[in-house]
Amino acid sequence: MSNDALRLRPPNHRVDRRAVGWWTTQALSVTVVLTVIPVVPALIWEPVRFWFLVAAGVLGGIGLLITAVMPRWRYRVHRWEITDTAVYTSSGWLWQEWRVAPMSRIQTVDTARGPLQRAFGLASVTVTTASAAGPIEISGLDHELATEVADQLTDSTEAVPGDAT
Amino acid sequence: MTSHDDHRPEELPTNTPHPETDPTTAEPTAPEQDVPTGADEAGDDWLGLSSLSVWANTAIVALFMVPSAIVATVVLVVVDQPLWALLPLPATGAFIALMTYLDMLRLRAVRYRVTADRMEMRSGIIAKAYRSIPRERVRSVDVAAPIYVRVFGLCTVTVGTGEKVGAGADQLKLEFVTAEQGERLRRELLRRSGTAGVSETSAEGEDGSVDEDGVELARLNPRWFAYAPATTATFGIGLGVIAALVGANAQSGGHGWQWISDRAGLPGGQQMADFVMSQLLLVVPLFLLGLLLSGVVILLLAALETWWDYRLTRESDGTVRLRRGLLTSVSLSVEGRRLNGVVLHEPFVLRSVRGASIQAVATGLEGGDDKKTSAKSRLSPAMPRSRARTLGAALMRQERSPLDVPLAAHPRAALRRRFTRATFVTLAGVALAGGLAWLHMVATESWWEVARTIEENVIPIPLVVESVEATPGWGWFALAIVLGVLAFWYAVGSYRGLGHGLHPKYLVLRKGMGVRDTVTLERSAVIGWRITRSPFQRRLGLADVSATTAAGAGMYSALDVGLGQGLAWADEAVPELLAPFLERPEGAEATEGSRPAPLP
Repeated sequence: MSNDALRLRPPNHRVDRRAVGWWTTQALSVTVVLTVIPVVPALIWEPVRFWFLVAAGVLGGIGLLITAVMPRWRYRVHRWEITDTAVYTSSGWLWQEWRVAPMSRIQTVDTARGPLQRAFGLASVTVTTASAAGPIEISGLDHELATEVADQLTDSTEAVPGDAT
Repeated sequence: MTSHDDHRPEELPTNTPHPETDPTTAEPTAPEQDVPTGADEAGDDWLGLSSLSVWANTAIVALFMVPSAIVATVVLVVVDQPLWALLPLPATGAFIALMTYLDMLRLRAVRYRVTADRMEMRSGIIAKAYRSIPRERVRSVDVAAPIYVRVFGLCTVTVGTGEKVGAGADQLKLEFVTAEQGERLRRELLRRSGTAGVSETSAEGEDGSVDEDGVELARLNPRWFAYAPATTATFGIGLGVIAALVGANAQSGGHGWQWISDRAGLPGGQQMADFVMSQLLLVVPLFLLGLLLSGVVILLLAALETWWDYRLTRESDGTVRLRRGLLTSVSLSVEGRRLNGVVLHEPFVLRSVRGASIQAVATGLEGGDDKKTSAKSRLSPAMPRSRARTLGAALMRQERSPLDVPLAAHPRAALRRRFTRATFVTLAGVALAGGLAWLHMVATESWWEVARTIEENVIPIPLVVESVEATPGWGWFALAIVLGVLAFWYAVGSYRGLGHGLHPKYLVLRKGMGVRDTVTLERSAVIGWRITRSPFQRRLGLADVSATTAAGAGMYSALDVGLGQGLAWADEAVPELLAPFLERPEGAEATEGSRPAPLP
């Protein structure tokens, strides 16, 4: 518990403000689906109606709570930064994750836009290294900024020789 | 052990061969045409697989099918169906001929060559496939020869790259080439022309012989087989054997047991059970002993098959080469530069008898998941721990072994987390015990009767229900208490297992109670950091600090390390990477856990 020692500083840039809306929509749609599943049998099957409605209520309640809390929390945590030498991101809400990858070890850079992200004008940048630990993802960027970031990353990784392993 | 049969090229040809545009190689069916005699150093001509591989495949198919065909014929004759009896053998013959023909087409289509900078392979007649691997991407060459292939003097060559494109896409497999060809490929593919840092004494030029072995790092000591049974599986496998026997007996409705007792003049089941019950004290230990013995025998046999003729050598170009295997002889070569560290692997049972084994942390040895990677990376059988440590040090070629670096302990808060988990396990155990004790109380005579009948049908010698019925209700709580004690003991053990340290060239991590792994990873092989914190860890000032790498499991973590401690360690391990993102609130000194020694 040596809290007086080293600490990670948050990366410089926040993600786009619209990401809050995106996360809210996402959480809300999952909540709605999960709530509807027990409601259907409750409507057609009389004897167990009460218990299914209770289940629906509990699921809906938890879902709404998450929908209310999670997007804002995420917005406070999700950050990213690209320096000349490395990519640095933080993400998560209850469980949080910080990732650092040096420019010289980056293998591929992709941008992706799901239909929901597109509706909010957002995009994600995925940075892959040779590690099995999974790619680094910066989600919820403004889509033009995402393209710019990806281009910049591609340029700087191409400048570094080696096979990135 | 590598699987060797499941990777046939998918596009089995079903048609007559094209006139292949291969002017260089003659018909591969001509015997011995394919053995290259050092003529391809220019790297221009394409080579084929060994023509004998068709016969190897035919032999294995015939070995399985002909006996069953003969049996079928005999049976048909016995049941007086002489006309039908004429069918199985010719049908089998035709089938084998067809398979052989198809295999011959496949063989004819497969061509490979090794040029100055690529390894290429063409296969398929209808669906042509062409694959090419840059030689600089070759990380490992795996030469395997199962016994039915070895009698033909052949072997399988698998060339592994470090790519993670998708399962199976990262390797190139030749089935089968002659043993000399396999050996030559192994040498050639891992020999770099332009690699700096590797002292290339090209002592072995064209000799092609296997005599030049380089430095021997380890060789099988038959005494090591004594460690083979020291696994948790000993018990499990023994139990499996007994359960299988019992299951077979139950399947046959107890006839199996009856049959044996009739033959051997043994008393019937009922008498047996009575006798057994009267001698319970004798039977239970005997049962457990049988369990243990069968497990020991199976593990010994498995170790014998896997590790027979084990040798680990470093060749003159730095390549580390592993050879082992009784029925399937395996030769695995890992380029020295790609061997980024070792794992000292100590499962609990093995650790308690002071044994350990060594695994590689290397690029190009990935299996589909962590378990397969770990199986593929084994570089030694279970051996005495001191020997394993020496071997690890020899593999890393460091003056001061990274495995001897003193490891910093993790904060007490990490112990507290483990105690919390143990408490939950104990509470769950107590709750379960309460439930069972309650059931025990309400269970009436008739219920016991039912349970006993069920057991009698399943096990020839019923023991469990009787003894459970006889135990008083508080017995469950005694079990819960034992579970609780075990949980806390485990918590302390896993806390003691945690550790991290730094060697001038390696970072060192240790964790685990059930399986304790001490990992060394070259600091230059770290390709990023990942720090994760759960809500509980944030409250306690802890974090999981993981180094990501292309080698081995891909990520190695210091679990529940103090945040400051872990960051200082990571920052020191790879200086320029993390530093720009760290801050020191009031310029305080970092809790220094690991002091690297001056460079040797």
